[in-house]
Amino acid sequence: MKFRHAFAFAIAVVASLVLASLARADDKELNLFAWSEYVPQSVIDGFTKETGIKVNYEKYASNEEMLSKLLAQPGQYDLVQPSEYTIEALVKKDLLAPLDKSKLSNLKNLAPEFTKLGHDPEGKYSVPWMSGTVGIVVNTEKVKDEITGYKDVFQPKFANNIVALDDARELVSWVMDVKGIPVNEVNEKNLAAVKPMLGQWMKLIKVYDSDSPKTHFLNGDVVIGVVWSGEAALLYKQDKKFKYVLPAEGTHQFIDSLAIPKGAPHLDNAHQFINYILRPEVSKLVSEEFPYTNPNAEARKLLTPEQLGNPASFPTGSPKMEIFHDIGKSASAIDELVTDLKSQK
Amino acid sequence: MTPDINSNPATATRRPGVRGWLLMTPLLAWLFAFVVAPTLIMLVYSFCERDDIGQVVFTFSLDNYRKIFVPQYYGILAWSLGAAAAVAGFLAFGFYADESLSYKLFDLTGMTRRQLIALVAGAAGYCAMREQVYAMESGGNFLRILFISVELAAICTVICALVGYPVAYFLGRASESNRNKLMMLVMIPFWTNFLIRTYAWITILSKEGLLNTFLLSAHIIKEPFDIMPSTLAVYIGTVYTFLPFMILPIYGSVEKLDNSLIEAAFDLGAGPVRAFSNIIVPLTRPGIVAGILLVFIPAVGMFAINDVLGGRKVPLIGNKIDTQFKSARDMPFGAALGIILLLLFAVAFFLTLRKEEKN
Repeated sequence: MKFRHAFAFAIAVVASLVLASLARADDKELNLFAWSEYVPQSVIDGFTKETGIKVNYEKYASNEEMLSKLLAQPGQYDLVQPSEYTIEALVKKDLLAPLDKSKLSNLKNLAPEFTKLGHDPEGKYSVPWMSGTVGIVVNTEKVKDEITGYKDVFQPKFANNIVALDDARELVSWVMDVKGIPVNEVNEKNLAAVKPMLGQWMKLIKVYDSDSPKTHFLNGDVVIGVVWSGEAALLYKQDKKFKYVLPAEGTHQFIDSLAIPKGAPHLDNAHQFINYILRPEVSKLVSEEFPYTNPNAEARKLLTPEQLGNPASFPTGSPKMEIFHDIGKSASAIDELVTDLKSQK
Repeated sequence: MTPDINSNPATATRRPGVRGWLLMTPLLAWLFAFVVAPTLIMLVYSFCERDDIGQVVFTFSLDNYRKIFVPQYYGILAWSLGAAAAVAGFLAFGFYADESLSYKLFDLTGMTRRQLIALVAGAAGYCAMREQVYAMESGGNFLRILFISVELAAICTVICALVGYPVAYFLGRASESNRNKLMMLVMIPFWTNFLIRTYAWITILSKEGLLNTFLLSAHIIKEPFDIMPSTLAVYIGTVYTFLPFMILPIYGSVEKLDNSLIEAAFDLGAGPVRAFSNIIVPLTRPGIVAGILLVFIPAVGMFAINDVLGGRKVPLIGNKIDTQFKSARDMPFGAALGIILLLLFAVAFFLTLRKEEKN
């Protein structure tokens, strides 16, 4: 009898697993593959509540990581969130599905400067999510000097007190900015020119983190660093002692957008999600939790003066800014260079 | 080790029947699906190329292996082999010139002439190679990273053995009722996910973390320790994670230890040190070897602890492979690195196994 019970139990388990997998194939799902620390849970919950569509939010920490997973599993993801240069590469390889604008009635809410962007001039494939810059955060309680650019950050006196993004292309581009080399001209000669200074800088860095560099400021492990503007804005929101500085040598602006990969299994749900986040009141929620530069003009009207006045979210003045372009195979040369320098003593 | 089946006709005829194979099927299927097939895929990928976005292109190429074995390596290899040979020759000459030397050294270290030469020459070759590898300017990061990883794993294995042996011995010699309770204490950490336990170390080690706050408020230190993130933190995390894997097999050996043998050693006049080194250690040797293999091999390929506690500063071989599959988008190169690592492990494993069988 005991054996029969066990057998019946096993059958029941298998049957429920099969049913569960069948239920997964149902259309009430959306596989969202997006940056970590970028999509608020409240937005996902709100979307599920309204539409009944379950959102599977998988996270990544760099465009390159996203690309490699996207390429390895075609037909898996419904929505990705690449930055401008990655959209360029994806479009070049014909890996994005064109958007059906008839399903995106809220597109009109976008600020005009975000509708005709270099990487997607007709807005055919992508809808801007958030935009931001890369810049310097200073803990003004611990650092009394005037910090204006990368050169002030990477000084021996800050050795072992610096956090930097764990992103090979970012690291290389900062040195290029200092040396006056255009950040998109990645070739052997320029990388060789960058190497000595980059090597010196990297010896001073205490920790590399692209996911959540703010943690190291809050833990007191570092006093200065080069991070995403949204992280800087969160630090400023928490404590005014964390000042954000756009490097005088130049920096780059990034625009992260939502895009649908070719072969996405839930095309319609993906459009619904894009249209949902374009609503001013939803986009405002994103801004509240991840205060990058919001491209949604209607949503900006809902933000408080304090939020709009956060210099990391909405920088003033006219800093020197560039946009990254796709550099193809040179990306692995950058990676090799940074690994080389990291492994040297 | 394996019983000689021909000596016993009853066992010689006992081959697995259909039912035996049927029982084996899940294991064989598992082995094929999760060991054989992935390794084959990795082998095929390692000979492929990538296109500019990172997709695998199936054309035969040796480029990935060429990227690993840059020509400078052969020079370094020759140089360190030469250094080892020179030291070995010098020692051999010393032993030849003074016969009594080898007896004195045997009394001192308990090692035969051959073992001594092998050890010293090996160390010399290793040091020569290490210096060359760290001096390499560029393109040589594979070998350098491999060195860093192997050294980290080796040091952590030694610490685990030094810390784990007394613990395992104590556990194995405790009274039966206490033994199970104490064993529970070793197992309890496994109830929590390994990554979460690793993250917990951030809370403990960071500048304003538990350890520093405690030491500062107790006025034991004036300046907080700055160990998070750092290589030291990686060592702490690695030893912490792998310690149970050293304790468990040694405990297994200690538990089976025959007390009368130890008593006999004392009766025959051995002191505690002698009894330990000549009786207890050799008898628990299988446990020690198993523990070393269980700690060392996973520690070489480990990358998560380094990511969480090391601040991604010094890459280990696991990180390098991880990078190839993620940000560098070079799966074929990552696969080639994996194959090389697999071969290194296989060679090391079979050498250890052969040596153990001889013993």
